[in-house]
Amino acid sequence: MKKLLLVDDEEAIQMVYREEFEDEGYHVISALNGEIGLAKFKEDTPDLVILDIQMPGMNGVEVLRQMKMLNPSIPVILSSAYQEFKRDLGTWASDEYVVKSGDLDDLKNSVRRLLKLDNK
Amino acid sequence: MPELRKDPVLGRWIIISKERRKRPTDFPVEVSTGLGGFCPLCPGNEAFTPPEVFALRDGGQPANGEGWKVRVVPNKYPALIIEGDLSKEGLGLYDRMNGIGAHEVIIESPNHNHSFADFSPKEMALVFKAYKERIIDLEKDLRFRYVMVFKNHGRAAGASLEHSHSQLIALPILPRMIVSELEGAQSHYKYKERCIFCDIIHQEIQQKERIVCENEGFLSIMPFAPRTPFEMWILPKKHSSAFYTQNDGELYSLAELFSESLQRLCKCIPNVPYNYVLHTDPLRSGGLEYFHWHFEIVPKLTSIAGFEWGSGFYINPLPPEEAALFLRESLTLS
Repeated sequence: MKKLLLVDDEEAIQMVYREEFEDEGYHVISALNGEIGLAKFKEDTPDLVILDIQMPGMNGVEVLRQMKMLNPSIPVILSSAYQEFKRDLGTWASDEYVVKSGDLDDLKNSVRRLLKLDNK
Repeated sequence: MPELRKDPVLGRWIIISKERRKRPTDFPVEVSTGLGGFCPLCPGNEAFTPPEVFALRDGGQPANGEGWKVRVVPNKYPALIIEGDLSKEGLGLYDRMNGIGAHEVIIESPNHNHSFADFSPKEMALVFKAYKERIIDLEKDLRFRYVMVFKNHGRAAGASLEHSHSQLIALPILPRMIVSELEGAQSHYKYKERCIFCDIIHQEIQQKERIVCENEGFLSIMPFAPRTPFEMWILPKKHSSAFYTQNDGELYSLAELFSESLQRLCKCIPNVPYNYVLHTDPLRSGGLEYFHWHFEIVPKLTSIAGFEWGSGFYINPLPPEEAALFLRESLTLS
C-alpha cells in the first residue's frame, strides 16, 4: 500500500483528501503544518507528499526545499488554491503543481502518474 | 523646493523632492538571507527543470547534465504557454487573446551563491550571449513580436530564488511601455532626424554630471528624470536598435561596464535589491534609426503608492546628479 503524506493546515481539506485517497487504496498520514510535515517526512518516509503552500509558520515552498534536500527522490505535489505562487521559482523543486479544486481528478491523476501506477 | 522633471523619451514626469534629500545609507535595505535547502537551479538538479533550450558548456558534455556555465530552460510553471495558435477575439469594445508566449529562465551561473554583481566580465558576457542567442531563436517564431528580458534581484525586487537567474518572455504583442518608448523616440526623430538616445549620450558625455562610468563602447548614466534613486541606464555609444546584433567583443565590453556599474551600486548600497530590463527593438523590425537598445537598472529603494499609481508620477528623493556622484566616488578601481 502506497503511503501519502498530506500537509495542509485546513482540517476540512485534510478530511476530504484522506477520505478520497483512502477510498483509492492509499495509506494517508497527515500534518497540520510544515514543521510537523517535515518531521513526519523524516520519520515515516512516505511514497509521495501532497503539500499546501500557504500555511502558518513554514510555508510550503520552504518545506519543499527542506524535503528535497533530505530526499529528492520522493515526489512532492504542491497543491494550492492559488496560481500566483507559480511565480516563485522555488516551486520548481516540486514534481507537480496542482491548483486545488472541488474535483480531485487532477490531483489523483498526478499522484498515480508520479507513483507510476496505472491510471484508472 | 521640489523639482518636476520630464523624461524626454516617454514624456513621463517625476518629482525630485530635494527637501527629502537622502544619502545612500538612508535607504533601508532588507537583507534577505538565503533560505537554504534544495535548489532546482543548481548543477545536479537538472531533472527538476524542463529540458534546456540553450546552454553554454564545455564541448562534449551532453545536454541537461552538469558542466554548464549558463543554462536556459523554459519556465516550469510559465505565465504564458508556447503551444498553440494565436487566437484573438472581440467582446464588444473589449479585446482578448489566448495566452501564447515563451517564458524562459536564464540560469546565469552554476554557482548557487555567486551574486550577479560579483560576476567577472567574462562570466557576465556569457549571460548576455545567452540573451542574444535566445532572441535570435525566438525571432523565427512569427507569433511573437517582442522579447522582454529582465532580472529580479533580491526578495524586495521579486526574486524568489537566490541562485542568480534572469527571465525572458516572448510576447505576441508589443508591451505598452515599449510602444510609448518607440513613439517618443520616433517623434523626436521626425522632428530632429536624430536618435534621441544618441542625443542623450552626446549631451551626457558633454555635461558629465550624470555619468556613472564609461568605456570605449558603452556609457552608464543616471537618467535626467529617474523613477527611483540610483536608476541607471547602460547604452552603447554607437547607434544600434537591436541588442542581438552585438558581437562577442561588444558583449564583453558591455559586460565590463555593466559589472562596474553594479559593483559601484552595491558598494554604495550593499545588498541592494534591483530589477533590470533590456529595452530592444521589436522582433523583425530590421534596424530602427530612431531607437537605441539599452538596459535600465532600477534599484528597489522606494515604494509605489497611491500617488504614483494614480498619477503615473514618481517621487524620487535623490537627484540623479548627486546619485551619480555617490557612485563615481564609491569605488577606487585599480
